[in-house]
Amino acid sequence: MDVTVRIRRYDPEVENPESYWQDYPVALDGSATVLDALIKIREEQDGTLSLRCSCRSSICGSCAMRINGHAGLACKTQAASAIDGNNTIVIEPAGVMPVVKDLVVDFSLFWDKIRQVEPYLQPQGEQPEAEYIASNESMLHLSSVTACIMCGSCVSDCTVLEVDPTFLGPAALAKAYRFTADPRDGDSNGVSQERLEQLVEPTGMWDCTRCGECVAACPKGVDPMDRIMALRDQAMSAGLNNSNGARHAEAFVDIVGHSGSLNEALLPVKAVGITNVPGLISFLPVGLRALTHGKMPPLIHHNIENVKNVRKLVKKLEDPPLD
Amino acid sequence: MLEHDVLIIGAGLAGMRAAIAANANGANTAIISKVHPVRSHSNAAQGGINAALTDRGDDWEDHAYDTVKGSDFLGDQDAIEVMCQSAGRSLIDMEHMGVTFNRDDEGKLGTRAFGGQRRARTFFVGDFTGQALLHVMFEQLIKSGIRSYEEWFVTGLITEDGQVCGVTALEIRSGQVYAVRAKTIIFATGGLGRTFEPSTNALIVTGDGMALAYNAGARLMDMEMVQYHPTTLMGSGVLISEAARGEGAYLLDKNGDRFMEKYAPNMMELASRDVVSRAEQTEINAGNGTNGCMFLDCRHLGESLIMEKLSQIREIGIDLIGVDMIKERVPIRPGMHYIMGGIKTDIDGQTNLPGVYAAGECACVSVHGGNRLGANSLLDTIVFGERSGNHAAAAARDVDYVEFDVDAVVKKEQDRLQGILDRPQNGDRVGAIRLDMGQSLNNNLAVYRNESGMQETLRDLKGLEKRYAAVPVDNKGRIFNTDLVFSLELGFMMDCASAVTVSALDRKDSRGAQARTDFPNRDDENWMKHVVVTKGEVGPEISYLPVSITKWTPEERKY
Amino acid sequence: MKYAFFPGCVARGGCPELYQAAKLICQRLGIELQEMPGASCTGAGVLQEKNEFLGDTLNARTFAMAEDLGMQIMTICSTCQGVMSQANFRMRKDPEYLARVNKELAEEGLEYKGTADPKHLLWVLIEDIGLEKLTELITRPLAGIRLAPFYGCYLIRPTDALDMADHPERLTALEQVIETLGATVVDYSGKTRCCGFPILTINETNSVAMVAKHTSDVKDLGADAMITPCPLCHLNLDGYQPKAQAQANRKIEMPILHLPQAIGLAMGISRQELGLQKHIMSTKALTLKVGAG
Repeated sequence: MDVTVRIRRYDPEVENPESYWQDYPVALDGSATVLDALIKIREEQDGTLSLRCSCRSSICGSCAMRINGHAGLACKTQAASAIDGNNTIVIEPAGVMPVVKDLVVDFSLFWDKIRQVEPYLQPQGEQPEAEYIASNESMLHLSSVTACIMCGSCVSDCTVLEVDPTFLGPAALAKAYRFTADPRDGDSNGVSQERLEQLVEPTGMWDCTRCGECVAACPKGVDPMDRIMALRDQAMSAGLNNSNGARHAEAFVDIVGHSGSLNEALLPVKAVGITNVPGLISFLPVGLRALTHGKMPPLIHHNIENVKNVRKLVKKLEDPPLD
Repeated sequence: MLEHDVLIIGAGLAGMRAAIAANANGANTAIISKVHPVRSHSNAAQGGINAALTDRGDDWEDHAYDTVKGSDFLGDQDAIEVMCQSAGRSLIDMEHMGVTFNRDDEGKLGTRAFGGQRRARTFFVGDFTGQALLHVMFEQLIKSGIRSYEEWFVTGLITEDGQVCGVTALEIRSGQVYAVRAKTIIFATGGLGRTFEPSTNALIVTGDGMALAYNAGARLMDMEMVQYHPTTLMGSGVLISEAARGEGAYLLDKNGDRFMEKYAPNMMELASRDVVSRAEQTEINAGNGTNGCMFLDCRHLGESLIMEKLSQIREIGIDLIGVDMIKERVPIRPGMHYIMGGIKTDIDGQTNLPGVYAAGECACVSVHGGNRLGANSLLDTIVFGERSGNHAAAAARDVDYVEFDVDAVVKKEQDRLQGILDRPQNGDRVGAIRLDMGQSLNNNLAVYRNESGMQETLRDLKGLEKRYAAVPVDNKGRIFNTDLVFSLELGFMMDCASAVTVSALDRKDSRGAQARTDFPNRDDENWMKHVVVTKGEVGPEISYLPVSITKWTPEERKY
Repeated sequence: MKYAFFPGCVARGGCPELYQAAKLICQRLGIELQEMPGASCTGAGVLQEKNEFLGDTLNARTFAMAEDLGMQIMTICSTCQGVMSQANFRMRKDPEYLARVNKELAEEGLEYKGTADPKHLLWVLIEDIGLEKLTELITRPLAGIRLAPFYGCYLIRPTDALDMADHPERLTALEQVIETLGATVVDYSGKTRCCGFPILTINETNSVAMVAKHTSDVKDLGADAMITPCPLCHLNLDGYQPKAQAQANRKIEMPILHLPQAIGLAMGISRQELGLQKHIMSTKALTLKVGAG
């Protein structure tokens, strides 16, 4: 298989460094991975190409990069599945993190965020002599998160980090969930209240847009976004409802539970909080402009037909009766 | 001036465990690693970690006996006793740190069966136990606040009047050379897998520590004992965990017969690795395989067990060769995986060089002797990593830093590296030399060996050394110059390759992983001893050390 | 062809012009739309954060209604499509889960049998109607117009729930439609990314920064307009573009068209009927260029 590998290169040591494209022709076996192609280029053609790689079996997390525009592991991607109609594969460094050289990016931002979530078990009670007793299900569940190899693919493609580097991001939040969901962490009921209190702060769990990029990018099935959603659920269950995000979710359920459909006019009011005057005013310019263009949501919101059935469902499933 | 009481080279499980222990003992501790700690090769240990837990009726002496027998009686029994006795505590410590071990129905730690052991005592996290342990150890490293020099490549040891007193290191990110002063140094640099081609090992596993120590006068022991793992994937040779057989998978020949019946009628697929690999190679040589491979059959285990306990190796099969073990047999063959030998240490990790320690795969205590049992390597890293850290911290209390001329040392090393960068192009490439070396070793120092083949490799190495002395690098820059790093790594690998070859040539019997067709039997009368190699005036010199035997008299091995 | 129509809350509320445009083009395409006045909101992923089972039950309720009508569901909202597909994915792969859901629906006398296959108008066009049919209906090709696609996350991810393995054409559907309309595709990496709408009330700065990024990117590539199958993306990219301009300190002025509006323009439907005068960012220059006044 004759393939062209088109690589986004960057040499910081030239005057006025700028990234540029370089094409490498390379002959590959049918089963070769993208990493095999890159190693072949490096070993046989051009030793100046810098990249990180090590295990070749998706466990060390070194070779995350953008392959045809999306982050993933070069060692987990078959070259044959990555070529386009012209037998070309487009390789770029991971996003969000600054490029050091070629495909090597600076991971400081990544590790700083991991450190921020105090990523180590913090049990509050007495440590047992033998192992902690815990269900296999709870450990299997955690293992699906600890399967994270810290490759940075999710961070590379995170839509929020792209515009706001202060966001904790998918990897660190999934790491945090690994502890909040651990029955050994936190109090005797396994509730990690202090962690959750930190994570509901701005830049934390509520800043995720639920775009799903991290889920698509993750090579290990960690599903960071689902973990962030689970964190939100944990936070609300722990009584941490005093954030725009929590109010947004609760308001949403309230409105749908009342009228069966969404009333966008009401949502910001409820989410920002009726007493939050500056917050409400911030929505005004848009609202006023929308009114003048005749596209403001009708202020009198009509209920769906037979809304009582939906109300009943919402009431029952939101506040299940005690057995 | 960068200086530390205890400086650990390598941030895999052994290195980080050592650092945490040294730090807990109050030593000014630092860890230096050519990759970020979580990229280390401990990740690749899939199946589990062995320990005999007494609260469930297991006995550490049983574990020790299985280990001694697995080693083909070449392991040092005093060291094996230490490891097996400490195993339970070390395992529970890891659980307390947060490892998400699979559980049994009562919520206690669950076990699986593993090769060469009469009892299921392998504790595990799915099929990524090494990764799970490594990441938890890294969490503890963060918690401890220990200084960590990440992506720093150690280029040499600094010796003053015969005393090792620091290292020179290249900060890969900047291309800057630094001298780091240390009272004690612990090597935790892992194995030498990339010396062979193919190998299950990661690209970073290049024998750095063994070569550095060897060149400073340390003893390398049992270097002929190279483990070929029975189940490495067709093609790239990536590892497929022994956990598959631990969970009940079969090894089949091309006719679908379980050929292990002929070689190990009792333990079958779960005989020790050297036995299974030899059986496979014999069958492959007899034409009973397909495309040079035998088959691993997991289909009868069922989808739910595979998804719960073997999901990652399933994925590797799908990703790399498009074979789904739920539905198909996986083509496998023996492949280079581990080295039992390494820098000779005592049970506290001390080498023959004062203040220099080693732990993990780069060390040879020797707890693995002629053949390591599956799931004993993770245990080895943790037990001896901790012991080395403790001992080095204590030793550092009684000594002062050795003064040396830092600027002169740095200048000299910079000049040496510049000399490599300045070499003119000559058509040769680092990658080509490594490939020739790796293939020669894999041809002649694999499952079966003989004198003429190994002599051929020795000659190959002589020629390769000449090429290496002149090989140029493409990249002349400073920042993240991996080309330069590979060149230096190749030098380390060539030292290791020669140590392996001369040791294997010297040992004239078959024992553990060394199976010589010209000396097919174990010869306890002449060869119940460790082969030791040190750097002499003109090349490697061989000597011997006795095997420590405490409780278990050598006997013929049957599985 | 007849579909159970699920316009989504925004097309009924905040963006009535979308509803109108969709009905007009469906008429011409021969798509008959059967309203479902009793269908509830899908939950938009927000309700699912708080209570996924409730969300799935509400969607199953809608699916059951469509089954009773004997029709498949068509929506004109990427978010509704995604949320319905995800709910359907969970219920169809786990019969026990579906049974639990149906237990809740039984009170209302409904049962979801698992046959729903909700489709966005975009997919209906490609898979059921065919682009040939669309080509026949074009009377005012958008020649010389540069359109930048913007899918909306929920129409792209997660790929398993959206059945992308069996329908790879869904990943390029918008580009195919743009070309069919006679316009030129403006390709850029932002086309499958997030518009920022879901965090609008939570972190407006970030939400608006996303609007600024995507609209500026296509502006710099010479786009005349963006086209989106998602009313929520439209709300954010259009409604918050003034703030985005202020935040990014630059003029962008990028018209944001709903998918049916762009199709309607090429079918020769008037600017007024398509509600193009109702947008926050003026579409005047665009419609003049098209020759639609």
